[in-house]
Amino acid sequence: MLDRRSLFAATAAVGSFVGAAFGSRKANAATHTSVNLTPKGDVEPRGSKNRLERLPALDLESKYDFVTGFRSWHNKSNRVVSQRVEKILEEKGLDPKAKYSMEKVLPLIEDDHLVGTSGRTWISNQQVTWKILQDYFHEHADEYIAEMEAADNDGPGTLELNPDMEIPKYTKHEIHIQPGGYVGDEFAGHVYHYGTNSFYVGAIGDNEQDQIHIGTANRLPLPEDGVVKRILVQGCGTGQMTSALKERFPDAEVWGIDVGGPMVRYAHMRARNLGLDVNFAQRLAEDTKFPDGYFDIVTSYIINHELPQDSNRAVIAEAHRVTRPGGYYYPVDFRSGGADGRAYGQYRRWWDHRWNTEVWSREYHTLDFDGEIEKAGFTMNRETKAALPGFGARHAVKKA
Amino acid sequence: MATSKLKTDRPTYASDFIPSDVERAVFLGNPVLDNMMTSLIALGAEVWSNRRRMKVVEALLAEKGVTAEMIETYMPTAEQDAEWQKDRDRFIDLTYSPLLREGDLPVSAAFTRENK
Repeated sequence: MLDRRSLFAATAAVGSFVGAAFGSRKANAATHTSVNLTPKGDVEPRGSKNRLERLPALDLESKYDFVTGFRSWHNKSNRVVSQRVEKILEEKGLDPKAKYSMEKVLPLIEDDHLVGTSGRTWISNQQVTWKILQDYFHEHADEYIAEMEAADNDGPGTLELNPDMEIPKYTKHEIHIQPGGYVGDEFAGHVYHYGTNSFYVGAIGDNEQDQIHIGTANRLPLPEDGVVKRILVQGCGTGQMTSALKERFPDAEVWGIDVGGPMVRYAHMRARNLGLDVNFAQRLAEDTKFPDGYFDIVTSYIINHELPQDSNRAVIAEAHRVTRPGGYYYPVDFRSGGADGRAYGQYRRWWDHRWNTEVWSREYHTLDFDGEIEKAGFTMNRETKAALPGFGARHAVKKA
Repeated sequence: MATSKLKTDRPTYASDFIPSDVERAVFLGNPVLDNMMTSLIALGAEVWSNRRRMKVVEALLAEKGVTAEMIETYMPTAEQDAEWQKDRDRFIDLTYSPLLREGDLPVSAAFTRENK
């Protein structure tokens, strides 16, 4: 069995590997090499697989492995269901390759057994995924709450919790049907982190070592003057993007804020265990509390499609307020737009909204998101490539 | 609104939340069918959990001096991981591909036979 020292040496090695894969990060690997400690109160009964603490029980890890595999199988089976939908359209005398609105598609296919089975198995797998994780952390609540308590006031990095903060209703939904959502469960961060790792597999790649976040952080552009002293991540969740940015810009003051107390608590604990000096705070993306022009870079990672349109506008306006002249705003999220498309795609988008509780995603996809960014006063640099390939490229510069 | 089912006196920084209605969803016309699907997936997770544990045991037995702690903390090699995932995918294919079957004959369907 690897001892603690060996595990962190392995972490440093992975830092080097990820650096090689995603760009120049030599200095960042050195940051990890310095992490050779056992943080107070750390609960890690089965050690780490490089950056990721292994799930704390073999059975839990195996069940998680199963639901991850099932998810990949399900993704592949979508082709069969899509063909079935095209067949139904043909039977009804419709062009199966034409574009349709969801309203047109839904009544045609909602009662089909294969479409129903696909939806049922997907949602059941999602429910089992959350349940195995939440049940474990609830059953071992005392030790995992104690672990967070030990980290709360310990560094590197800082944590600000605001238990009396008024939490907007739009954030209280169980996004992705995660029990309790991002604000309502003590272990929202633990459950989200492991649960969403399974989302990436079979979709855009493995993210166990934060590869997607590190790659995204490393592909963000520099401001035109090259100065990066302060960075803000709005809606930082479990802090993977925030930590990756600190690794890319080790001398910068890096902040991650999120409405979920349990989320920033977990984010701080994890960054601290990685030896990263990051600041996390429970605050709203639309009310960051920072002074005007404080940040060189304001960014976010896949939060905008979780917001109602008026909240998106408020978040963009706040980003504009706290970005310095010459700095930029770069929200990473899906390309928006498109109220019609191929039948099964439209159905899937609607179904994801309705049953996977992507509460606000349809509002997002009917919003001219890029236009809203420009309306707020930013100038969009259309030459910049997407920081997360396949997603929207929004390099919004605040004029100097 | 709902609150976490976890009961603890320690500060948790969790708030109330708006529960989804997914527990009431019926996608297959009969809640029994929907429930069976969820049971089937949970069963798959349990079965796979046992099989994966056995793989750990088998891997360790190939070595020497096996202890419970060694089993619990066994770290698969990249090759083993890949091999196990392949077997997992075969297992999933066997168990769940029948769900894609497009049956269309009712119980009363005519029985077509040929004798030559």
